[in-house]
Amino acid sequence: MREVVVLGVGLHRFGKSGDAVVGNKSVTALCRHAVDAALKDAGVAWRQIEAVAAASSRFSGGKGWGLNGNDVVEDMGSTGVPVYNLSAGCAAGGNAFNVGYSMVAGGLHDMVLVVGGEVMPKGMIQTSGNEEVTDPEFLRQRCVGIPGPAFWAALARRRMHDYGTTEAQFAGVTVKARRCGVGNPFARFQKAVTVEEVLASAYVSNPLRLFEICAVSNGAAAAVICSKDKARQFTAAPVWVASSAVATMTFEDALPRALAGPVPNGPSFHTEAKAAVLKAFERSGIGPKDVSFTELQDNTCYYELAFPEEWGLCQPGEAEHLLEAGETTPTGRMPINPSGGFVSFGEATTAMGVFQIAELTWQLRGQSGARQVPGARVGLAQTLGLGGNATAAILKR
Amino acid sequence: MPEGDTQLSEITVPSVAGLFVEDGGAGILGSRCTACGTPYFPRAASCHNPACPGSQMEECSFGGRGRLWSYSVANFAPPAPYKHDKPFAPYVIGIVDLEAGLRVVGQMVNPVEEVSVGAAVELVVEALYHEDGKAYTTWKFRLV
Repeated sequence: MREVVVLGVGLHRFGKSGDAVVGNKSVTALCRHAVDAALKDAGVAWRQIEAVAAASSRFSGGKGWGLNGNDVVEDMGSTGVPVYNLSAGCAAGGNAFNVGYSMVAGGLHDMVLVVGGEVMPKGMIQTSGNEEVTDPEFLRQRCVGIPGPAFWAALARRRMHDYGTTEAQFAGVTVKARRCGVGNPFARFQKAVTVEEVLASAYVSNPLRLFEICAVSNGAAAAVICSKDKARQFTAAPVWVASSAVATMTFEDALPRALAGPVPNGPSFHTEAKAAVLKAFERSGIGPKDVSFTELQDNTCYYELAFPEEWGLCQPGEAEHLLEAGETTPTGRMPINPSGGFVSFGEATTAMGVFQIAELTWQLRGQSGARQVPGARVGLAQTLGLGGNATAAILKR
Repeated sequence: MPEGDTQLSEITVPSVAGLFVEDGGAGILGSRCTACGTPYFPRAASCHNPACPGSQMEECSFGGRGRLWSYSVANFAPPAPYKHDKPFAPYVIGIVDLEAGLRVVGQMVNPVEEVSVGAAVELVVEALYHEDGKAYTTWKFRLV
């Protein structure tokens, strides 16, 4: 395996359809902006890109078939390069990064573009509309009625039972996340909120409130990655990919993703996320203690508390204490989501795994301004997607 | 018409046919692998346990009692294909560990104020929504 470098990254600021930030831009226009920024950051011309790994949207563009990578290549100039359109729900961006990484590490290509972007439909994400009794998602919605946030709310409720977590502590996670977002010019929400404001927002799915669940956003992210030898031509201080891993959930997983499953023996939650992160640790020889900061998938504040414990970044039941002691802020002992996270950006699903790579890169270069993690040397990124998909990446300088 | 209450005079129709039964005791129709004991709902054609020595599926019905592992609330109406009576009333979604070894998702009959993690519940079949003068039913859980 060859060593891989992140040479350049770019984002289109996240926003909501019709606002002053993203207006009515198409997903291809958003991606174009992010790709141009990443190429410029890398000092690379479009014609030097040898392959594209694209996170594939089911919502917009992509010729109706999720072929968003092809849209990007046509827009940038049809050079004939291979395009890989990756689909993995909210983990698609992380998956695309892994495929791009694997191709460079494996010696197939020297210079690869990874891109994800999204124009999201308004309101709650709907299911396929398919009314087939053989479709488990149809059965979930017709026979029970499970809005997306209800899955997270049940996890939050269980944590309240297991560890005595309070609603004010969940709100505190949002307050911390939004304070980070104030310092991020790419965040959709750049205004701080108070615990009182969070607790005054309506329940979307009790015990989780509107300000504690990420909105859906439009946005795009891109990264140019290359081999070590190639990188020498462009930079003297590269950001290295220490490892990139993908996993799916295992049979022991305790969470009811469908209608039912066997009662598990233990609290094996999100086995896919844990497996991806532990694989990333193992392959890099980097351990939880070496991590300077983490960008994790906080679709809701629950994950900022649960994930660090599940991966060994801290002890089970310790996360609330760390939050309240300020240890999860950029200047704390265990910084989580210095970017402001999904709570400050809103989720543009397929962009998220690549957005995390951009934040890790800026942090490791010391370019993150008000949200900078002092002396950041190692960053961990993680995504989680429908279907039991997860990815993890570790970047270092 | 009262939410979640099937009146005796009503014609009841399963919201999805062949998924659960009411007569002879409320139960959801699934299967169990006789080789490794893993229960499934809905029915599975083959066993998903990678450690199972050989998939041998047998149809069975799951019902009876269990404990609430956790729960959430649908504070807003989910989008289609969910169907509900108007006006929308928030409902509790339970995750229940049945004594039969199955962890099942289903609506709770009881309001959120009465529900707590670890509570004992039983599986019932009740109305989910009404259409054309008929009550369309589903499986739910009730505190016992």
